[in-house]
This record gives sequence, structure tokens and C-alpha cells, in this order.
Amino acid sequence: MATRVQFENNCEVGVFSKLTNAYCLVAIGGSESFYSVFESELADVIPVVKTSIAGTRIIGRLCAGNKNGLLLPHTTTDQELQHLRNSLPDGVVVQRIDERLSALGNCIACNDHVALTHPDLDRETEELIADVLGVEVFRQTIAGNILVGSYCAFSNKGGLVHPHTSIEDLDELSTLLQVPLVAGTVNRGSEVIASGMTVNDWTAFCGSDTTATELSVIESVFKLRDAQPNIIVDEMRKSLIDSYV
Amino acid sequence: MVTLLRKHMNHQRPSKRHGVPILRPFLGFSSFARTILFSRSAPAYSLSAFTKSPVDEVEEQEVDMVHADFGFFDPKLGDFSGVKLLLHNYLDNKPWDLSGFVDLILEQTTDGTVVKLDEQDEVGHTDDDDDDDAGPFGVITALNLQRYQELPEFLLEACTEETTKKKLKTYLERQAGDVGLLVSQRFVNCPYQLVPPLYDALFDEISWATEDEELRDSFCFKYYVLVTRIFESKTINQSKANLKGDDDFSDSIIYTKPEDEIFREMKNYKEKGLAMVIDASEVSKIREKLNCLLTEC
Repeated sequence: MATRVQFENNCEVGVFSKLTNAYCLVAIGGSESFYSVFESELADVIPVVKTSIAGTRIIGRLCAGNKNGLLLPHTTTDQELQHLRNSLPDGVVVQRIDERLSALGNCIACNDHVALTHPDLDRETEELIADVLGVEVFRQTIAGNILVGSYCAFSNKGGLVHPHTSIEDLDELSTLLQVPLVAGTVNRGSEVIASGMTVNDWTAFCGSDTTATELSVIESVFKLRDAQPNIIVDEMRKSLIDSYV
Repeated sequence: MVTLLRKHMNHQRPSKRHGVPILRPFLGFSSFARTILFSRSAPAYSLSAFTKSPVDEVEEQEVDMVHADFGFFDPKLGDFSGVKLLLHNYLDNKPWDLSGFVDLILEQTTDGTVVKLDEQDEVGHTDDDDDDDAGPFGVITALNLQRYQELPEFLLEACTEETTKKKLKTYLERQAGDVGLLVSQRFVNCPYQLVPPLYDALFDEISWATEDEELRDSFCFKYYVLVTRIFESKTINQSKANLKGDDDFSDSIIYTKPEDEIFREMKNYKEKGLAMVIDASEVSKIREKLNCLLTEC
């Protein structure tokens, strides 16, 4: 189910939150209605953690993560790092990395299996991404934009990319990611997909300006209409327990 | 905001500074600003006079002028995201239906102006590109208060003094049909030369609208209300609401938008926090004064 939400009159939900299959991070300082929307959708299933990164609220654009791990920029403070390590589930590896491009959320787009990265990312960072997040890494651009983390959002079921992406690019990306992709907009025509929305395998949160058409496109490409969160999370829990044995 | 300006500047010659030409020194409308201007020994034309950070010797001697043409356009629905960005802080951080408000402004195509870069002469753009690249720099419009209900509630909440609160209430409720909400917002470093023509255009459009049969009733304004931001000295004991800054100067009030100082001088004002009500008959005087202020040295 896709839900419309607003952070302090701002429709850029993907800037102030980060949603994965194992946890959800939200920025501090927003109104209670913002948290309550997340908590009502997610509280039973995954932890919703309030945090800041580097003292800022733009956490969605600074960090990158999936169910296996979370990558934080070098500007993250020690207290924030500790807070995240304590609050997130044990199976999630929280790692602070030293990368010149510190807005990791703008440079890396990932789901649980594949990641697309900014073409100028360091080699060591690429290896760390593959290690911590457990994904295969591809350096790509989207519609000529190097900030792949901003202009596309994808989950394990589907993805939404910048509206000006050509058909050939769409096919190529779809083959790399192994999920269906569609070129579209969010928040009434905004091209910056990942800042306007945040998504995981069973739910999505979009800015309140998102039109009904955009919302229906999102629900169909991410297959949210008949998603059952409990099944997905139970499968993950089983695999996590296996790893202890 | 800064990103938006940089995008525009890429269409012009590349320059070290991100700014538009200020052909005259920025006129100080408060005595604080005037003292700052006159205390500078560097020529006021150099953009470095307006930045407080230390500047290299070399850069100070080069004056980078970027030529920009601004156009005034009627509001249209494609301007939604730009106008929303400009009005983002209109009512502080209070959650309200900003999108609805912006829609209301954009529907009123006959009355209101959006300021954008006028790029049509340079490159043959299609209309699709214009909406993406030419985001609005400023917007001005006048809305009939009866059409929009949430704003009066906010203003009354922000009021702390009882007497002016009552006066404001009469304007906002009983006489709402005659009151126009003047919405004027622009990016912080927009050149001031744009402002008098902008207000002229608005008041002209209002008077033309009153001649038009259909819209006549909603545009016969007797009063205008404006909401704006000021900086008020902490040492002065006036009850201002949550919107004051903390600058401590000899002048008690610094105006973010210089025309607000003119509005305050108009006789029939009630200044409450940051809402001012002015009489519509003063409009012609206001226009004259705006023009005078720009030409005075």
C-alpha cells in the first residue's frame, strides 16, 4: 500500500526517511503526524528508528542501506553511530565509511541484491558496499545523471526511474537489476524520484503532492497492492537464524 | 534555493559570482543598511561589498557582471513547484494546506505575476523546457480573503496583543469580502529594480479586473493584508510573535523586504506581528514612493 505523507509541509519524504525491509529510519524534529504514519504502517513488523546523521535531518540522502546493512558517511558522529547500532536489528551491519562523496543516499541506489552507484565512487567504497550490503555493484548513470541514488528508487519487486530515461536505458537497467522498471514522476511532476518517495517490498511512502495517477503507477510497478508484510519478514527471520547456526 | 540560481547562471557567461548585475548600489532603506553601505571603502558596484567573507585581492578588482533578463508572466499551473518553494515558509512551520494555497494563486491567471528569466530571445526553447529550467524568481498576487479560510486563523493565533487582535479580527471576518491578501515573495538576492514594476503590474491588474464584468466583485478591495518577515531588536519590548530574528541594532526593526517599510508609513495601518492592513486608497501613493525610492541616491 502506498501512503501519502508530509514532513513539516515538505513533500520530499525520501529526504527525511529511509525505508528497507528490515528497518526504517526517520529524521528527528518532524511533527508527530509524520511518525504516526510510519508507525501505524510499520510498527508491528520492523523497528522505526528516529535519528539524525551528522547532526542533520536529511538522513535519507546521506545513508544507503538494505536488509543486510547500513552505510553511513564519515560525517556521522560517534553517538549517532552507537545509537543506530543499538536500535537496529542484530543482523544489520552498520558501517561508517570514508568516502569523499558523503551523500551516500544520492550516490547509491540498492535493493537486497543489486546496487547502482555513482560512476566516481572509490574502489574501496565499492568493495565495502558489496561486503556490507551483500549486493552486486554496478556503476551506472540514469538519463545522463550521475546521481543514481536520487533519480531512481527500486525494491526487490520493481523500480521507478527518472522520467526522461530512454527505452534502451530502461531495458539495460532492467536486465542489470532483474526487476521491472518504469519511468515516471512523483510529487506532481518532480523528477527526483528518490527524494519524493521511499519504498520497500510491501509498502511505499510518497509526498502528499503525489497525484492519483502517480500513486497508481507506483503501486503497480512495486507490486504493493497485494503485498503481505508478515510473509516477507518471516522469511528473512528464518534466514537470519540459520546464519547463527 | 542556491541550486536553482546556479542552474540559471549556467545559461549565461560563466562567472565566479552567482548573482545578477546590480547596476546601482543596493539602496539602504533602514539606517543600519545605509551605514553599512557608506562605511565600505571598496566601490559599491563590486559584488564583494555585499558579501561578508574575506575576498582575494584579485577577485575584488574584477567586477563580474552577469546580464540577466527577467520577464513577468501570468501564473500558470506549470509553475506549481517553483511557487511552492517560494511560499514554503509563508506561515512559519505550521502544517497547512500549502498546495491548495498555491493552486489558488495559480488559478488566478488574470491577477498576479510570476517573475522568471526571460530566455526566449536567446535559444529557441520548446515550451516543455521552459518549465523545467526557468523556475520562478518571485511571485506576487492578491487573493480575496473570503476564498481562503485558514489564513485568518493563523494570523489570529499569532497575535498576542488583545486590542490589535480585535481590530484584525474585524478585518478578517466581518469585512472579509473587501479584504485582499497581498502575497509577495521572491528570492533573497533578487535585484530590487524588479519590485516597483511588479507592484505596478499587480495594482494595474486589480483595477482592470474591477472593470471586467465577471470578476468585478471579488476584486473591489478596500483593504490589503500582508504577512511578512522582519527583524526586530531584542531590546525593544514589543510583543512580536514567533517570527522575529535576533539582530541587535540601533534601529528597532529591519525589513527583509524594503517595500514593507513604505507600507508601514501609510496612514491606515495596523501593524501586528507581521501582518499589516493598508487602505486601498493609498495605493497610488505607494506606487509613487516605490518609484521614488529606486531613483533616489
